[in-house]
Amino acid sequence: MREIFEYHSKIGYRFIPEVKARIIHESGGYLVQVNKSGFRCNHDFFKQKKSPYRALLFGDSYTAGNGVSNLNRYGDVLEKQIPQLEVFNFGLPGTGTDQQYIAYKEYAKDIDHDILILGVLVENIRRVNAHYRRFVNFENKVQYRAKPYFEIVNEQLVLKNQPVSKKVLNANELSGKSVDKGGRFPLLGKIAKKWNLKHTIQKYLHYQPFPEYNSCTDKWKLLSAILKEWISDSPKPVLVVPIPVYHYIEGISNACHYQNRFEELRQETGCILHDPLPTLRKYSDKEKREFRFKHDTHLTSKGHKALAESIVPKLRDLLLIKE
Amino acid sequence: MNELVLGISAFYHDSAAALVRGGNIIAAAQEERFTRKKHDSSFPVEAINYCLEEAFVETNELDAIVFYDNPFLSWDRALKSCMMARDPQKIFPKIANSMLGEKVWVEDYALSAMGSLGKMNKLLFAEHHISHAASAFYPSPFTESAFITLDGVGEWATTTTGFGDKNTLQFVSQIDYPHSLGLLYSAFTYYCGFKVNSGEYKLMGLAPYGEAKYKSLIYDHLIDVKADGSYRLNTEYFGYINDFVMTSDKFNKLFGGEPRKPESLITRKEMDLAASIQKVIEEIVLLIAKYTKKETGSSNLVMAGGVALNCVANGRLLREKIFDKIWIQPAAGDAGGALGAALSVTYNYFENDRVVSTTGDSQHGSYLGPAYSRNEIKAFLDFHDYPYTEVSCATEKAKKIAKAIYEEKIIGYFCGRMEFGPRALGARSILGNPLSKTTQSVMNQKIKFRESFRPFAPSVNLDKVSDFFEMECSSPYMLLVAFVKKERQLPVDTDTDDLIKIVNLARSDIPAITHVDYSARIQTVTEESKADYYQIIKEFGNLSGYEMVVNTSFNVRSEPIVCSPRDAYTCFMRTEMDLLVLENFLLWKKEQPNFDETEDWKKNYELD
Repeated sequence: MREIFEYHSKIGYRFIPEVKARIIHESGGYLVQVNKSGFRCNHDFFKQKKSPYRALLFGDSYTAGNGVSNLNRYGDVLEKQIPQLEVFNFGLPGTGTDQQYIAYKEYAKDIDHDILILGVLVENIRRVNAHYRRFVNFENKVQYRAKPYFEIVNEQLVLKNQPVSKKVLNANELSGKSVDKGGRFPLLGKIAKKWNLKHTIQKYLHYQPFPEYNSCTDKWKLLSAILKEWISDSPKPVLVVPIPVYHYIEGISNACHYQNRFEELRQETGCILHDPLPTLRKYSDKEKREFRFKHDTHLTSKGHKALAESIVPKLRDLLLIKE
Repeated sequence: MNELVLGISAFYHDSAAALVRGGNIIAAAQEERFTRKKHDSSFPVEAINYCLEEAFVETNELDAIVFYDNPFLSWDRALKSCMMARDPQKIFPKIANSMLGEKVWVEDYALSAMGSLGKMNKLLFAEHHISHAASAFYPSPFTESAFITLDGVGEWATTTTGFGDKNTLQFVSQIDYPHSLGLLYSAFTYYCGFKVNSGEYKLMGLAPYGEAKYKSLIYDHLIDVKADGSYRLNTEYFGYINDFVMTSDKFNKLFGGEPRKPESLITRKEMDLAASIQKVIEEIVLLIAKYTKKETGSSNLVMAGGVALNCVANGRLLREKIFDKIWIQPAAGDAGGALGAALSVTYNYFENDRVVSTTGDSQHGSYLGPAYSRNEIKAFLDFHDYPYTEVSCATEKAKKIAKAIYEEKIIGYFCGRMEFGPRALGARSILGNPLSKTTQSVMNQKIKFRESFRPFAPSVNLDKVSDFFEMECSSPYMLLVAFVKKERQLPVDTDTDDLIKIVNLARSDIPAITHVDYSARIQTVTEESKADYYQIIKEFGNLSGYEMVVNTSFNVRSEPIVCSPRDAYTCFMRTEMDLLVLENFLLWKKEQPNFDETEDWKKNYELD
């Protein structure tokens, strides 16, 4: 299968510019088209607008659309449903909000737009606090690579780990390093998954995937500091969309903690907050289960469509676009 | 009119996928190139993925998906053969496991691999020899043509003849299992210590070293051939009927002992056996061709099936002038069945009109696999900090490469779309100097790590081919053998059996590509078919006076031909190649950092 990422000294990596690939996946596979700037977007990033309205959309693999072809992603569905709008998708899989903010400064600052949309997968709180992140290499082996990250020093964000090291590490080389390995209890998770009991156990125990949101923890402080700086940097309105993981959509876990944190962020920054969770929860259990794949927890085309449909009314209101 | 049809072959050997739109071949590739397992027969998930990637289409846009073979007919054959076997109980469990284990669940595999079965929501099934015949006729440059398919076995058929006209195929004759030229050749491949379904090329390469001393023994005991080319094998001599080996005790006794152990010394006996079976195959192919000509009246012939890769027999067929023109599917083996099945559905199921190319065939030079962009290659090289020079000017690049070849450097050449079929045709090739006496031994032992007797082939610009060889026509797919011109041949006097000594004797002024019988397996190159390669050969001609280079596949022994820049770099660093060309990027070995590998890579490849 084609390799689609390349090293980037500031962000860590990005898509290889202009690559066209099909990625093998449990869904059968999906098509990836990358623009000249190295983002999985159908548009090249022209500075001047070509449509009446333009949104810049940032996020991770949920926004970049792992598991689905370009046209089925929520950013693309927004374009379909609001024909006057073009969406520049800067989603980059596996990244934290820190790397997305760096990408914004590197590639998006000079692009004319009407609104900035930050699709913050709630899991990103863990990523912004990590200095290394796991990935699966071409031999299907799990390895780790460095990422840029911020630290709060004297109430200021200080960027570290840049230029990003190219060195790839194995698990035994990570001691003492801050690593996002994905999931709170990876081993337990694996066993429970093998026995097909993962979700039953999680529901029974009121599993909280991200306790980092339970209060104003240091980890939340870092994520919110990044978001605050990004929001204040933006010359245009910022729409923050916390994207829930399936535990929240399917009612396995209580979402109130992360919802409270993002509400506090809204009050402190004046950003526009759109919480899609209440809308997503209204669907039937069967429909909600179809928002993710059988194994892969990324959004299916149905999940993307539902997410986009929750955002559309808000976006129309903000941009004063009539239906 | 423009139906998108995906063809799939799998579960025997060389699984593959091919994608065709309204008869135009968009993509085709073998699974082995992606999985890095030689002759990989597993369901071609990666090859299918590549085909859909090349067309950039979703699975649900496919108008039809077709499997190249009918597993139920194969099951019928296997079951009936088993019942005829001496000890059915012995072989039934294995056969049942093989046939029912995966082959009858093709549709499930396809659904699981692709997520959808396209617009039809079902899989179509072609028949094995229809797929082969279709792969030979439809991409050929002929409006009408006779066809011959020859292989080991597919369902029941092993040999078929017929006639193709516009978009139809009519079968004239068929020979069924267990009588098979492919299996006969494979039996000798096995007996001479080479791997079946893989080592047949070696047997063919070994043949010129020997004398056909066993020919009459073969005719007297193993095969009964009629004047029309039809034949029957004496099954007592073959192990595949009653067991899972190719030869029986009777066969072994006839040829004086047990089969040669793989990797042991090759003796005069193996050389003579190779020469004998090669002659027998050639003679039968000629008889079949004459019969086919008589029955069809056509002056054109197309061929496919594994035996059609026997370029020595093909060359003989050409020299005998039974047909005016011959076209052979470059992916003649089972991989090509994927393409044939897709074309068969295009023309027979969807009844499209067939438009024959006015400028040549429709195979697109067989450059039907993936290419890699400048950005992709640069990303790979930059991430690893591999030193390179980028040369964007095509002429300058060709001159640099030609100069390196002239200086007897060995070059790994990776440029454009990968070839479909077993031959490297200048997209994934190792290039060398044909004038050098040492090229063959260096390439065999330090680059390919393979047997010293194996010959190398020349790529020659078409307008110069008759300056060097007894050949007037084109051979773009390296499937024809011709002799080096008489005036270029050098007399050789040797009475040794030592293959290395024999190989190292110069037999012409182009020693690296002149086989012991003064033959060469030729690829003709034109500017239209592959401009970058043509230009390199041209520039080499400017330096040396010979518009020709040595071309061998870009791999080491038992490794599939490289597919990606990563594969190419790895192969380059594991061998003693001097220069690697990845599109416009030139990498010199002496400038590269140490290439450390934790494991012995040679253990990853099962010797063929």
